[in-house]
Amino acid sequence: MEMTRSAPDRREFIRQLGGLVVGFTLANAARHSPAAAAEAGDYGPPTDQVDSWIAISEDGHATLYSGCCELGTGSSTGLLQVMAEELDMPFARVRLVLPDTDHTPDQFVSSGSRTISAHSRPIRIAAAEARAVLIDLAAQKLGVPAERLMTGDGAVTLRDSKQRSVTYAELVGGRHFEAKITGRAKPKRPDEYKIVGQSLPRWDVPEKVFASFTYMQDIKVDGMLHARVIRPPAHGASVVAIDESSVAHVPGLVKVVRVQDLVGVVCRREEQAIAAAQALRVQWTSWAGLPDQKNLHATIRNLPEFRQGYPKDAPGGLLVHRGDVESGLSESAKTISATYMTPYHHHGSIGPSCAIADVRDDGVTVWCGTQTPYGTREAVAKFLGLANQKVRLIYAEASGCYGQNGADDVIVDAVVLSRAVGRPVRVQWSRADENGWEAYKAARISECRGGLDSNGKIAAWDARTFGFSGYSRPEYHEPKHGGEPGSLVTAQLAGWTKPGLEEGFSGAAGNFDPVYQDLPNKRVVFTYLGPASHRQGPLRIRVGSMRGVGSPDNIFVAECFMDELAAAAGEDPIAFRLEHSPRPRGLAVLKAAAETAKWQSRASGTAPGSGDIAYGRGVAMLGSDTDTNVAGIYEVAVNRRSGVVRVQRVTIAQDCGLVVNPGAVRNQIEGGVIQSISRALKEEVKFDRSRVTSLDWSSYPIITFSEIPDEIDIVLLDRPDLPPMRVGEPASESVWPGVANAVFDAIGVRIRQLPLTPERVLAALSGKA
Amino acid sequence: MATTKTIRVNGKALGVTVDDAAMPLLYVLRNDAGLHGPRFGCGLGQCGACTVHVNGQPVRSCTRPLSAIGPDDEIVTLEGLGTRDHPHALQTAFIAEQAVQCGYCINGMIMQAAALLKKNPRPSVPEIKAALENNLCRCGTHLRIIRAIRRASGV
Repeated sequence: MEMTRSAPDRREFIRQLGGLVVGFTLANAARHSPAAAAEAGDYGPPTDQVDSWIAISEDGHATLYSGCCELGTGSSTGLLQVMAEELDMPFARVRLVLPDTDHTPDQFVSSGSRTISAHSRPIRIAAAEARAVLIDLAAQKLGVPAERLMTGDGAVTLRDSKQRSVTYAELVGGRHFEAKITGRAKPKRPDEYKIVGQSLPRWDVPEKVFASFTYMQDIKVDGMLHARVIRPPAHGASVVAIDESSVAHVPGLVKVVRVQDLVGVVCRREEQAIAAAQALRVQWTSWAGLPDQKNLHATIRNLPEFRQGYPKDAPGGLLVHRGDVESGLSESAKTISATYMTPYHHHGSIGPSCAIADVRDDGVTVWCGTQTPYGTREAVAKFLGLANQKVRLIYAEASGCYGQNGADDVIVDAVVLSRAVGRPVRVQWSRADENGWEAYKAARISECRGGLDSNGKIAAWDARTFGFSGYSRPEYHEPKHGGEPGSLVTAQLAGWTKPGLEEGFSGAAGNFDPVYQDLPNKRVVFTYLGPASHRQGPLRIRVGSMRGVGSPDNIFVAECFMDELAAAAGEDPIAFRLEHSPRPRGLAVLKAAAETAKWQSRASGTAPGSGDIAYGRGVAMLGSDTDTNVAGIYEVAVNRRSGVVRVQRVTIAQDCGLVVNPGAVRNQIEGGVIQSISRALKEEVKFDRSRVTSLDWSSYPIITFSEIPDEIDIVLLDRPDLPPMRVGEPASESVWPGVANAVFDAIGVRIRQLPLTPERVLAALSGKA
Repeated sequence: MATTKTIRVNGKALGVTVDDAAMPLLYVLRNDAGLHGPRFGCGLGQCGACTVHVNGQPVRSCTRPLSAIGPDDEIVTLEGLGTRDHPHALQTAFIAEQAVQCGYCINGMIMQAAALLKKNPRPSVPEIKAALENNLCRCGTHLRIIRAIRRASGV
């Protein structure tokens, strides 16, 4: 792919689009007018920009200028379906332009499984508006009232005389005109949908299968040089000296670059850069500030609270407090307590992060795989001391990220190196760079106490978790306008000292409050330990978002402890959950999952067999009235001799509101479940006293073909009466507790620390014996 | 010392000038031949994203040095396996099963599976799993990949 540096003015660009362009007219009113803001939703364009969203060209195609990043989940196909539906345009005639700060609107961050649930709404409204405009144009052209016209298949037709019809292409002609969102156009009712709700194939799949797709890693820019970075051998180490003579022999070497502790080599060819990075001798200070991994969770438990990180509505990290927990516990007929531990996880993107930067006197262009184009652009501009408008950021889909891998950090590397050589520079992180310097899913320790009354019902629930931030990206949130370079570890290496925007608590604490309404005395506390990075913070291991942010850990605790209480009551875990009154949509998915899986109703852990293989089943659920509801049932086989756990069969029942593309939703559920089984059974970031040491796939094994489940049954409870809700994360969050509960059922011993490795299973079994 | 060498890629001759004959084949294919099929994943031969065929055998191009490639060796990448006009059965099947999420590993999955089907046109599920055991997918597309390979094999 040839890229040019042309950076036309956005208004000029829109004029050049030709045809009908629909934009939002929220200028300066956007977030200030409650009505306008409500119409656009939280993820509509910011108010100070009038941006094009949809353009209908004279060749009869509609183009969506999306501010959402396609992260390899297929969500952009869903957005195109929504646009095609509201336009009454065949799906074959819609096109997509991915984020480019010169061309597309700011839709903040593409994360949290929100592309469809949050970002499709403004697109639906804009497309409905476009259709209304086209009907008006046709009314003029045909000389009939708009009420007598209908749309379909990219044309406007007279209702009572199908012969009289005019295509959108004819209506648009060679003219250019812009339409504004007025709010008068009514989007379709779900019962009118023909394209939304269909399992259309994803637009990107053929390109990926025929290798014509251009990932970030494939982009080439004229005059581009190749670079690799050299990271400190310890998280807190600094450069003492660099011996440039160590790379004098490397052909094609352009420059060795050092900005404080950010070190890189720039070469003409990629393999030269690899050779130079391997050969460069750098003397570093020594640093060994990490805890012994064996004491990780005790260390976390004893860290001080980051009190300034609590939001006003959760002082001291108190998420909910109902009734009187201490009295409830003291009056209980039976009490139990449990401590749960989860490790750090790598995102494990198959392709390490990559970016290209072209830093010139008159402006900067960045090609990257970020999830937050405008926030990252702002961070680059601040880092370079430039106005935002001087930086153009072009998004290209990279390898699947599942959260904050190194995609944003590598941009600073590229910017620093390009600035140093005055040429466009491509930086490709190595596998070790990615595993060593990305933002990991944070480790956690959680403590629960619970009490049962004499009827075996929960009288008290007291849960407290000790956790870090869920975010460390240069996210851009109005009105705070984040976009801070300090969120990036590479900027920290390069000497940037101002901290990044701190808003980790709210992201990491979600879903820790159990879904059951009938818990009379309940206290749920998230003790927040603040942000953490390799270069700063209370524990020098960098944390960030990963598929669900803190939610998988929260649900692991809540749903395992629910299971422990059920076992203590001697009750079937599904019957016990039902007794504690999930909300109606939760109840529906739980019942659907149980029916589909042919759930064996009995108390868990009571009937382990006696052979080498022990079988068990476990359940977990999550959701809320305004979010996706999921129940997952997991059937496991545990080998008592080897300690190996295998998940054999999975049943997921999911209510995510209106389903835009059932096939794509199923693909996401399957993928999330398999990835999370890998994380439950195998995964744990390893570190020594100086640095993370799980730097390749042999030291950080993930699930392989021989280990996947035999089948994943998925029941989608279609609710077209509800808005579309999140898909990528929720089902995956049922996995850790569901599998842990199934292992308990199989062997009759509770394992409260992930991953459920053979060593841990054997230790649990021998502890029991 | 720069040397010039000619290799055969997807049925065509490709002249390359390199400084270091030990350089991995992957960078020749991506940067000199301009191909997008073989992908950099680990550089260690562990993940399989870089898989190509050399004389019909699946090879990790990230660890295969250019020096090990002879003038008569036939290198085939995903681009050479099939095209939109003349797709390989696996490419058709991967689309039919939507056996892709981010797709970064899919090059390796298809190339490894194509080599399997050549030897064993009707593999069982355990045989498919064994053949792909060293190809990593992080998105969790495994079940669909198996279904696609079964479909391509006519089962």
